[in-house]
Formats: sequence, structure tokens, C-alpha cells
Amino acid sequence: RITMPSSSEDHKLRVNFSNRDLLCVNGCGFYGTPQWENRCSKCWQLLQNTQKRNDDYLKNKMAFRQFEERRKLSTESRSLTIKNLLKKSPSLVASQGPDGTSSSASPHVSSSSAFHSSASAGQLGGGSSSPVSRPRTRQRSPESQMARDDLSSFLSRNAPPTIAATISKSLSQLTVNIYEPRMGAEDLSAAVQAYYSQLDAYLNSQTVFIQNKLSIRAGDVMEAVERYLCTACYQRLFWADSDEEVADLSLQERIRSLHWVTFGFLETRLDLTKEQARNRLDEAINEMIDINSHRRVEEKLQCLLRCSHKIFDSLRESAAPTSADEFLPALIYVLLKGNPPLIQSNINFISRFALPSRTMSGEPAYFFTNVSGALHYVQNINHESLKMSKDDFESYTSGELAPPLNKGTCGCNQALSSMESSLARMTKLIAEQKQLATRIDEFERQVSQEETSLCDRIRDLISSFPSPEWIGLRDKVARAEAAANDACSLNSTSSSARVSTDSSESSAPKQPVDLLQ
Amino acid sequence: MDLSGAGTSNDEFKFKVVLLGEGAVGKSSLMLRYVQGQFNPRHISTIQASFLSKQLVVDGADIDLSIWDTAGQEKYHALGPIYYRGSQGALLVYDVTDAKSFDKVKMWVKELRRALGDDVVLFIVGNKVDLAESRTVDSEMAKQFASSVDARYEETSAKENIGVENLFDLMCSAMVTRARAGPSSRGPSANGGRGPARRIRIVDEPTTGRKCC
Repeated sequence: RITMPSSSEDHKLRVNFSNRDLLCVNGCGFYGTPQWENRCSKCWQLLQNTQKRNDDYLKNKMAFRQFEERRKLSTESRSLTIKNLLKKSPSLVASQGPDGTSSSASPHVSSSSAFHSSASAGQLGGGSSSPVSRPRTRQRSPESQMARDDLSSFLSRNAPPTIAATISKSLSQLTVNIYEPRMGAEDLSAAVQAYYSQLDAYLNSQTVFIQNKLSIRAGDVMEAVERYLCTACYQRLFWADSDEEVADLSLQERIRSLHWVTFGFLETRLDLTKEQARNRLDEAINEMIDINSHRRVEEKLQCLLRCSHKIFDSLRESAAPTSADEFLPALIYVLLKGNPPLIQSNINFISRFALPSRTMSGEPAYFFTNVSGALHYVQNINHESLKMSKDDFESYTSGELAPPLNKGTCGCNQALSSMESSLARMTKLIAEQKQLATRIDEFERQVSQEETSLCDRIRDLISSFPSPEWIGLRDKVARAEAAANDACSLNSTSSSARVSTDSSESSAPKQPVDLLQ
Repeated sequence: MDLSGAGTSNDEFKFKVVLLGEGAVGKSSLMLRYVQGQFNPRHISTIQASFLSKQLVVDGADIDLSIWDTAGQEKYHALGPIYYRGSQGALLVYDVTDAKSFDKVKMWVKELRRALGDDVVLFIVGNKVDLAESRTVDSEMAKQFASSVDARYEETSAKENIGVENLFDLMCSAMVTRARAGPSSRGPSANGGRGPARRIRIVDEPTTGRKCC
């Protein structure tokens, strides 16, 4: 024990401690230190390990229990133990509706009644909206937090405080209901849609909205709320049913096995031999795959809209009509070809949690309907809908038989198309090479022509402006020739002598070179 | 802001009209002729011709009309309900030179009346009347059939621009009349944007009841 003497006249710290105090509290005989809670290094390490093990065990146990609970709920096994567990759980008791009605009977009713009470009394049933009462305490993801902030800033900026407060209170009640583990996908959808219609009725009953006194319309508020719900509760809403994930995977598997249908069985007038048409289709496929990367319904629908427009572009490139008769098969083609991940869950998500106006009117709604239809068609595709024999259909689907090749097929086969483009490039190159060769020939001919004409000119110039050296040489040559001629004239005619003089003159430019050497 | 603005001082309506009928009877051409005022034998236009919307004023009501084209091929017939649900009007188009396409219209009438009840305004449209010499569907017969199923009958030619404008005007005023008659007669389906009927059932898998206890 460290003691500080109160009387310190000598200005010296006198520290008194016994040897026993320095030893490890475990009594192992080693010295301990205060940082390690008076333990020696070895005992401290041991303690740490046991504590960690305990913590891990508890954590795992919690996680396992949650997993078990979810699994059991999702498989709908309502064993007595689970029932008891649910009954005992304080969170579920606390999440009963504010008016005392049990929320277990019909979850969406409780949400709507909560809205009523909040709209009339202006405040919501006590502690039920506090985070403690949630069945499972959630950690808010950054996205959720951002969505929350967005909504609250939107409301505080644009709406009167009373309306903003009512909305946020009713929303937090809805969130509590959403996170109840018993809620299935359809229940959630009913709850959210009921909330939308309650909110719609509430907003349209407010004088500020009736008289258009605000900078925003009631519809804008509805959209903001939808945005918040889709972003903040995405994980919960999107994965409402574990069966759906499996269904989506099996759909993807099915689409993969139906890949051959894109080989000319859809009777589209898409001209896949045209590169532009193919490129537009690829872009459409990208857009469709992109749907899954957005949380908000609005953004998902925008992807769909862009995808559809790309398909129309492709039809236009193929010189096909842009009517629904052509669009739907093309869309089915894109669906089969792209095999977008989780497409069904995304479509379900939109139809369940979007504002009714989104899926009922406007261009996005039309294309959404088309995608739903295309999906429906793909799911029910069979030999009858493709007008072929059952055996053929099955052997193509199982991969036993390869579908016959045709022009369209070649167009969509990447290896073949790249070969085709290489071939085209080769032909082009060969043509270019030929052209180059003729140009080279032409050039060579020109060069030799120039050469001769240059030689001629030089010769002319030399003969017309002879240098003294040249004249001397020429005279020398002439003399030598004359001598030779004299010698020759003895046994040849004068005419032949003249010819030889001519020839010697014509070869004159060469001779100086020889002589100079 | 909602599907039907009935009740407000200046009437505003959002109408959805579906075009149904066999392939190549001229559904898209009718639509293009109406919205764009043009006809193209292969209708390759700069705009897409399967969804079009138009704002117009009919009988003192502001109308936001959207026209939904559908694929007419037989193999897509089963997708019909996905398209026509929640619509206020349907144009059932057939080709006057093709008796088979008229049979298809009869099928659609039956189905629509069953699915949407009497709330939906039905127009039976005989298109391609410019091809009078090869006509096979009698005008009187079609008219009789239409009145027997509480539908209106009109004849058009998208190519020669005969009766197209008139057709859509009649359609709109009929829908306005129907909407003004009040939601009481409109039944749940017209206003049921939020009911369970609103959602598309894509899969026919059995819904697992998830209600507790």
C-alpha cells in the first residue's frame, strides 16, 4: 500500500509498503503490478483468457439463439417452446398497441390504429416507440441513419412542425411493427400499404395541403416517406421471406437452363447481326442487372425505364417496329440473356412497398408491368408457349441437345461474332495491302522515270555547258577516236565511221568517269 | 394527386386505357396516329410506340390519359390481367379484314367483364376500314355484338386517319361520365389501388399464413 505522509517537512516522499503488497494477489509467489490488477504476468494472462472465453461464449449463444429463433419462425414451426419464448419476451409485451389491443392479432391494424391515435391525440403510446421495446435491438446502418436524417431535414424544412412530428412518430411505430419477427412479406406489405393510405388521408385532410400553402404537395411527403422506409428498412423488407431467396436462386437456375430460348425461339425481330443493336441490348441488360444495386423503389424503377428505352433503341437499330408486340419478346430476351440476380425479389419489393401511384400510372409503371409480365412468362415457359415438341423442349433445357444454329444465333454467339469481326478486319487489311502494293509500284515507276529524265537533263546540261576539264577530255577522246578512225578507215567505209562517231558521242557522259578512274 | 381526383372542384382524372387485340391489327398504329398524328407502314418512329400519354380537356375535365399497348401474340394472352388491372378503359381492336381477330375481341370482352366488372369502359374498334374491298367482318354484326355486351363500337383507319381522333374523344368522355357517376357505382376495383388487388401475384406459390396464434 502506498502512503503519503502528511507531514513532509523534509520535502521527501516517504513511501511505506510491505513486501507482501507487491506480490501477485493469486499468491503464486511472483510480484504483481497494479496495471494487471496486482497480478503477475502469468496470472493476468490466464484471467484475460478466461474472460475472453466467457464473453465469446455469451456472444455466440446470443447469436445462435437469434439464428434459431429466425429459423424456426421462417419455417413456421410453432412449437410450444417458441410460443412460450414469445410470451415471455418483454419486448413483445411492450410492443402491444397503445390502446391496449394486442398487436399479434393483425399487425397492420395496430399500425393504422397507432396512426389514428397519433393524429388525434398528437402523441403516441408512451414507451412503445423507444428502442428498448424493439424485439431485437438494431444497429442502424449508415444508410439508415442517412435516410433518417434526410427525412427529418426534409420535413423540418418543408412541413409545419406538428405534421412533421406526427409523421415521425407514426413512422417509428411502423418501424417497430416492421421489425417484429413474425411479420411475413405479405403482412409487411399490407402494413406499409395501409400506412401509405392512412398517411395519404391524413395529409389530404390537413388544411395546409388542401389550400396549397406549402412549397410541397402531399405527394412529395409521401415520396419522402417511401424513400425513408425503403432505405432504412431495406434489409428487413427485402429479405422478408427466406423462401424468396431460394425461389430467386431457383429462378436463376431455370433461366440458365432456358438460355437456349434466346437462340431464335422468341420470334423477336431484333437484328442481332447488327453490332449497334447488340450493343444497345447489352446496355439494357446492364441496366436490368443494376436494379439490385439500388435501395429506393424510385431508383429501381428508373433503372427499369432506362433498360426499356435501350431495348427500344435496339429495336430501332434492327429496323423493327417499336410496338408492344415487339417490345415484350425483346424484354423477355433481355431477361433470359441477362439473368439478373434477385430480379424476382426486386419486383416483389417494388410491388409490395412502392407508393400505389408508382405502380399504377405513368411510364415507369408501364415498364414495371411489362417486366412483371415477362417474368411471369419466363416462369411459365414451356413447350406449348414456344410452339415446339415436348421432347425437344426438354432435351434443350437439360442440355442434351444443342439448339440449331441460325443467323441470329451466330450473331449472339460471342466467339463466332468475334471471329466474324476478325475476318472482316482481315479482308479489309488485305485490300489495304493490295492498294499499298499498287501504290508502291506506281511510285517505283515514277522514281525510275524521274531518274531517266534527270539523267537526260544532266547530260543536256553537261553538253551545253561543258567545263574546261570536260572539253580537254573530249578533245582527247576525239583525238583518240580520230586516230582510231584513221586506222579503221583503211578497211571500213566512211558511213560506218560516222555511226561509230555518233555512238561514241552518245556514250560520252560515261566515258569521263572511266577516264577519271 | 391520386388515381381519381373525383370530388375536387375542377375535375382532374387520370385514365389508363389498354389496347388489346391480336397481333398486327393496328393497335400501335392507332396509338401513334392519335398521339403523334402520323402513320408509318412499318411504324418505325423516333419515339417508342407502346406507352404514350396525353393531357387533354374533355367535358370540362382535365384528363391525364395514358395509353398502354399490349403484345397481341397468342402466347402472351395469359399476361393480360397484369396489363389491364386498374384501367378505366379498354380498346378492343380487330382487323375488319380478319374474322379471327374479331373472335379474339369476343374473348377479351368476356375476360374483361369478368375481371373488371361494369366499371371499365369498353370500345370495340374495327380498324383498317380503308381496306373495304377485302372486308370480312360485317359492320352491323359487330355493332350488335357490342351493344349486347354494353360496349361501344367504332370503326377506324389509322392509315387514312379515319375516326381515330373521334374514337379517343368518345372514349374519354365516356370515362369522364363513368367517373363522375360517382365511386358508388365504380365498385372496389376502380378505386382499389391500395387493396390487395393492387399487387401483382407473380408466383402462384401458396401464401403461408403468418398470423400469430
